[in-house]
Amino acid sequence: MQRYQDGDAGAFRELYALIAPRLLGYLLKMARSRALADDLLQQTFLKVHRARGAYVRGADPLPWIYSIAHRTFIDEARKTQRAIVKVGGDDDVPEVAAGLTGESADRIDEPRVDPEEAKAALDALAQLPEQQREAVVLTKLEGKSVAEAAEIAGTTVGAMKVRAHRGYEALRKILGASAAPAAKKAAAGFIAASLLVGLGLAAVLAAIALAAGGRITRRLPEPVPSGCVNGGAA
Amino acid sequence: MTDIVDRLAKQPPPAAPAMSAALEGELAHLEKVTPRRPLRQLATLVGISLVYGAGLLAALTMRKDMNELPMGWIVGAALAWLFGFAVPSYLALVPRPGTMAPRWPLAAASAIIASIAFVILGLLVHPSGRSSLHYGWEHFGRGHTCLEIGLAAAFVPVVVGALFLRGALPVGSRWIAAALGAGGGCLGGLVLHLHCRVADGLHIGLIHGGVVLVAALLSAALVPRATDRPLR
Repeated sequence: MQRYQDGDAGAFRELYALIAPRLLGYLLKMARSRALADDLLQQTFLKVHRARGAYVRGADPLPWIYSIAHRTFIDEARKTQRAIVKVGGDDDVPEVAAGLTGESADRIDEPRVDPEEAKAALDALAQLPEQQREAVVLTKLEGKSVAEAAEIAGTTVGAMKVRAHRGYEALRKILGASAAPAAKKAAAGFIAASLLVGLGLAAVLAAIALAAGGRITRRLPEPVPSGCVNGGAA
Repeated sequence: MTDIVDRLAKQPPPAAPAMSAALEGELAHLEKVTPRRPLRQLATLVGISLVYGAGLLAALTMRKDMNELPMGWIVGAALAWLFGFAVPSYLALVPRPGTMAPRWPLAAASAIIASIAFVILGLLVHPSGRSSLHYGWEHFGRGHTCLEIGLAAAFVPVVVGALFLRGALPVGSRWIAAALGAGGGCLGGLVLHLHCRVADGLHIGLIHGGVVLVAALLSAALVPRATDRPLR
């Protein structure tokens, strides 16, 4: 930031390369539209550029830049009434899920997220109220501490804790509710399959038993007539 | 549920797009800028405001009952007004070391406390001398001149603070503006304390103390329009 303030354009490019991907991830989770997130990212950096004189040397610029991104998103959401992009059409969803699960060359060892799972989680996230969504995104997905998240969102630590807790609980309920029908279906399928397998096994066992029973019957020795036990010796 | 959130959190960030043409255009003629130095800005704001307040006081003349009032109260109240000016201004302008985030919760608390405390103190403590005036409820409305003088005194610190904070407040700008206004209102209260010889509790509490509240409210309503506006 200092070199950038001194007029070094290369320093700004370095800053952009370093921060833009993380900021884009945050904006994607908030805006749920790649095109909108890209636009917000450019707006954010334009504001950072124009306000670069406000930077206090020695300070960590990241929370400040996140705050500008937060403010840019809020302003845009209020302007366009699209704070929560309703996922009516499926066009946006794969784009976001793919964006979030896209891997860079140097991080290919990271655990993969099933796109379906990611879509379900992001759909659930989109259903949360804006403040709770932001709290969950910042504290759970962006890895910020509660204090950092509060600083970014311009709220108190206590309020951020409450928002994050409520948001997480709401997310758990939404994901649980969406998982319940699938779980019921899976359980019914499992029972039916178990019954079929059980019946099959029983049939096989019965067949084996029948076959084995025939052989046993055939192998039985001829019955010894009674009364002749000692007849030969006599 | 925890698993999916954890796994999502561990995902690498998406690839960012290239910088926009507007941004590239800005970078093409990048110039050196002076970084913000909060303590220096605070010193500048306090210095300019005190000089302006002194000038205003010189133009308005000192109160005529000054010699008849307890010196302890004169000095103590003046220090309280000064303190009320300096503390919200400090909290509005100077962030915590190592951060850029405004200390808006503390600034908000200082603005609220100043707005309430000076009204209550004025209502409760208001010594008078033989040359002092008493408006009471009958002539309470005549005190509007003091409100105007107080707001005129508050104008300069608020404007200077707003200029210093342009672009620096992505969040919490309204409370920071309220603190700037409360600080400016306290400067107005100091000017009135040394100028106005109306000594009844209603006037001192509701008008002189009220200057802080009104300045804080006006500043909170107007200043964010300036601080939040893009710089170019």
